[in-house]
Amino acid sequence: MKHSAIVFLALMAAAPLSTPLWAHHSFAAEYDSNKPLNLKGAVTKIEWENPHVYFYIDVKDDTGKVVNWAFEMGAPTVIQRNGWTRNSMKIGDIVIVEGSQAKSGKPHGNARSVTMASTGKKLGAGSSEGQTYQEQ
Amino acid sequence: MRSRSLIACVATTTLALLLSLPVSSAQAPAGGGQAGARGARGAGRGAAQPVAPSKPTPHWPDGRVNLSQAPGVKGFWNVAGGSPIGKGGTGLPTNLTLEEVPFQDWARALYAYRQTRGGLDDPHSRCQPAGGMRFFTVPNGMEFIDQPELSRIFIIDGENRDWRRIAMEPGRKHPSEDLLNPSYFGDSIGRWEGETLVVDTVGYNEKFWFIRGGLPHTRFMHLIERFTRTDFDTLKYEVTIDDKGAYTRPWSGGWNIKWQYTNYDGSPGGEIHEYFCIDNERDSADFALQ
Repeated sequence: MKHSAIVFLALMAAAPLSTPLWAHHSFAAEYDSNKPLNLKGAVTKIEWENPHVYFYIDVKDDTGKVVNWAFEMGAPTVIQRNGWTRNSMKIGDIVIVEGSQAKSGKPHGNARSVTMASTGKKLGAGSSEGQTYQEQ
Repeated sequence: MRSRSLIACVATTTLALLLSLPVSSAQAPAGGGQAGARGARGAGRGAAQPVAPSKPTPHWPDGRVNLSQAPGVKGFWNVAGGSPIGKGGTGLPTNLTLEEVPFQDWARALYAYRQTRGGLDDPHSRCQPAGGMRFFTVPNGMEFIDQPELSRIFIIDGENRDWRRIAMEPGRKHPSEDLLNPSYFGDSIGRWEGETLVVDTVGYNEKFWFIRGGLPHTRFMHLIERFTRTDFDTLKYEVTIDDKGAYTRPWSGGWNIKWQYTNYDGSPGGEIHEYFCIDNERDSADFALQ
């Protein structure tokens, strides 16, 4: 039992680092690695669906204006391998999101990781960033 | 100093566990043993790393190769990328390099252009079917359903719940060109050559990219695919691309596909899940802004 618990903890610790991905579209088609994001806000909506889980957070900018940002993650079964469940994030939770913004310039990003502000727990978001688009 | 040693010890132990103990007893599928050892959490999308020698290739009672589940062992083929070119990753050692692909000039130019676009124009990114050999690269699991009494084999894919039908009637011919409606998966005729299933397919449309990255093809594309289960855990996929519209000669490549004993997310089960790309497809609206 103790042994299983150690194995489980070890796997969970490494999971966010260990997910090779094949998104249904390339990262480069939609997002810009040169537009890094690190945003904190309250979750307003969660779409736990294929091909990508989406969630939305309200973020205050420097002037106090609230902007609703959309974030893409991997497919449900992909991020489940990183320790997510459909109940990991709830409406109203405060989260810190690291990722990259869409090339469109809209308040839309690809999440690389999500940290729960209340617990400090950080989960990988199944990003395809860094993946090449050639066949090899 | 003591705490640093403790941290180093814990880190080393964790790494050792990650490399050598990939599964808890709760995740072992029915039958356990070797199967359990490969059913680790995180063994989905290309991450499967066998830690013990595979069981031998399974066969049906009549001697045919079993390309699917075997009694008492759950699972599916974990298609997770793959390419007919390049020798890295799951690619076969006999694969061509990109430079060796016998492109016609227009096809080489189109491929280069598609690369500059970073996949923006890929129909699959708009949830179009993964036609041709791409069927065996998109994730979400794949299975063979062999029905010899009906002279057919179905190959089903978790990706959009697509499927291919392989006609196995001896002497079967493709429809004549005027009756062959272009499609994503074409008209497929199969036969066994010893331990290998050989599938001949024609009748493709030009509305898909047959592989991620965008190698061009035309309506003349003719694929000869060879499926060999080299051991229980490995399916060798080889394909010859014969397309007089895009290439100067037929050429071949392939990749290995690994068996997945657990569900896709690593939990026990070994079953393909539902995945419909169109369910919440929000990317194409963003593509349109570029």
